[in-house]
Amino acid sequence: MSAYLISMGTYVGFFMILALALNLQWGIAGMVNFGIAGFYAMGAYVSGLLVAKLGVPVGLAIPAACVAGWVLGGAVALLSVRLREDFLAIVTLGVGEVIRLIVLNEDQITEGPRGLRIDGRPFGDLIGPELYPLFYLLLVAVCVLITYLVCERIRRAPMGRTLRAIREDDVVAEVLGKNVLMHRVLTFAIGGFFMGLAGALYAHYVQNISPEVFMPVVAMFIWMSVIVGGAGNNRGILIGAGTVMIFLEGTRFIGDFTDVLDAEKMSAMRIILIGFLLIVTLRLRPRGLLPEPKFNVKKT
Amino acid sequence: MKFSMTRRSLLAGSAAALMTPAILRAQEADIAIGSLTPNTGGGGPFGPNITASHKRVADAVNAAGGVLGRQIRLYQENSETNPETAVRAADKLISVNKVSAIIGTFSSSVTLGIMPKCQSANIIQMCTSSSADIPIADEKGLVFNFQPLSPIWGRAIADLVLSRGLENYALMALNNDFTRSMMDGFIERVGTEALVQDPFYYNAGQSSYRSEVTQLIEKSPEAVFIPSYVTDFTAVYKELYRQGYEGAVITISLSTGDQFKSTVGAAADGVIHGFPVPALSSPAYKEYLTEAGLEDTGSVQHPFGTAGRDQMSVLLLAMEKAGTTDSAAVAQAIWDVTTGEGKKTVYNVADGLAAIRAGEEINYSGASGSIEFDAEGGVLGRDFQLSEIQDGKDVVIQRLEY
Repeated sequence: MSAYLISMGTYVGFFMILALALNLQWGIAGMVNFGIAGFYAMGAYVSGLLVAKLGVPVGLAIPAACVAGWVLGGAVALLSVRLREDFLAIVTLGVGEVIRLIVLNEDQITEGPRGLRIDGRPFGDLIGPELYPLFYLLLVAVCVLITYLVCERIRRAPMGRTLRAIREDDVVAEVLGKNVLMHRVLTFAIGGFFMGLAGALYAHYVQNISPEVFMPVVAMFIWMSVIVGGAGNNRGILIGAGTVMIFLEGTRFIGDFTDVLDAEKMSAMRIILIGFLLIVTLRLRPRGLLPEPKFNVKKT
Repeated sequence: MKFSMTRRSLLAGSAAALMTPAILRAQEADIAIGSLTPNTGGGGPFGPNITASHKRVADAVNAAGGVLGRQIRLYQENSETNPETAVRAADKLISVNKVSAIIGTFSSSVTLGIMPKCQSANIIQMCTSSSADIPIADEKGLVFNFQPLSPIWGRAIADLVLSRGLENYALMALNNDFTRSMMDGFIERVGTEALVQDPFYYNAGQSSYRSEVTQLIEKSPEAVFIPSYVTDFTAVYKELYRQGYEGAVITISLSTGDQFKSTVGAAADGVIHGFPVPALSSPAYKEYLTEAGLEDTGSVQHPFGTAGRDQMSVLLLAMEKAGTTDSAAVAQAIWDVTTGEGKKTVYNVADGLAAIRAGEEINYSGASGSIEFDAEGGVLGRDFQLSEIQDGKDVVIQRLEY
């Protein structure tokens, strides 16, 4: 059981990093990103390929994946300069699919549908197989903490206020002399950076990645995490990611104790139940489990 | 303050939710076996049959007293035909349910995706996947594949098609490992000179396949071969029909099931399809039909359900033979109970268990085929069958033992 909890904790960590990044892009800055799976794939494949094909040390490959996510994020944001938010949604969805299709079809480089096997892991030689899952959980936890601190710092900083102003009304922000474009590009790039990090950590954890892993449904899980947790609130996001994972995985155990439904019906029922739990959560807490605090000026 | 209370109770609640199974965990004495089948997603049409077969065999063995004097505890999970979900499901099966084997994986990406976890936990895997990478990635010799690798499908279908006297072909395949390597096998047999143009791949889930189909039939080939899945093949075939293609259309039988026939209607007539089939005359296949409550129609039913029966049967027989659930010993025993001449042939798990307990050497012959394994854990000796759709029904035109 503890091995399972360690493993699920590690997955929650990936979700948390992705959700914090999405919260920065959408929850705080109001920029819709449906292409999370693409950024995730970018990080996973950049790091995976550098290690598996070029023999680059993992310690360099993971930062390279972050940089790749950063560049991709910046480029997508620049591409969509003239687009309204709803159009940005379509552009990002397209980018996500384009990346997945490139990975699928450029099989000389990526191994395509056969999947890429990655033997290299951070400190894989130094830590024994018994302790490794725990070590990886700690590594992911440290990455979550760093992501959280950076996102929280941005949220509290003047930049966070500017981003919220842009989210509410970009024209007003522009009129007040804020550089809207620069803020948007920078925010999207930072979000991309962390999504790339999550992808790289995922790739070295599962050690076998294929394009099928990065279907748009991954983006939906992350959106669920942000919406359930409370858009705009970084602590809420951490709880949201944990809650979504509990919904996804906790429902698996129902089948172990009941024989009312056969395994086939149970697997369909489980997915229905996940949807139901999400609806109930949002009905009871429409703004998420931990809503974004209202901005208020301290009265003296 | 209000928030922190809510948060705390939420955390407590979630921790409790995760902890409960630990209390109710299965008894130590049971042999835990994991079944990880594609009950939804791309493998959805086949997964439920595999799931049901696993359960039927396990229930029957439990009713007869179990294996090694222990009951079988079957844990069934849905892979959703998605490697990302499957890895988490495998994590649960390995760490929480402590299974000794994970059987029933279907898509190659799922089988390969969970393999690092299974290998490091020394867990036997049984699958019906086709990727040629499976034996390579299986470093510990713990993976047993109940389906021929897909290049073999391609070669067998080509051999069957060649005997029909077709001379030139155009090829396109769905872009996944299964269908791509099948296309390679096909080309190996018909030869590149028989191709009117370079073969190409298409991506799944497109709203239209017009440009792909136009390209495919541009040079009016005598026949087209399209390794595919049912959802995309239906769309591709409609497009072929719309563009008035009159040559032979060849694909795999997985794409031309009832779903295809009911969608396409009378236009389905003339489609030629092939795949590995159970030996229809085999006693094990007939027993399977009875167990699954099916009528013997003379045509192939439940191609993967039969494999599911064989997976569970072989695993349990091997455990009894090995006298332990230790994976290395069971893996060795899997060869002992399936492969080799001069042993007593058994067609079901009950007869097999009785024979092993009587000290006899057995060779299990299954519902999906005779079940013999090569040195890499791949299945040998499957029949291939080529059929043509006539009046909305599959008519067998040729069979071949491979």
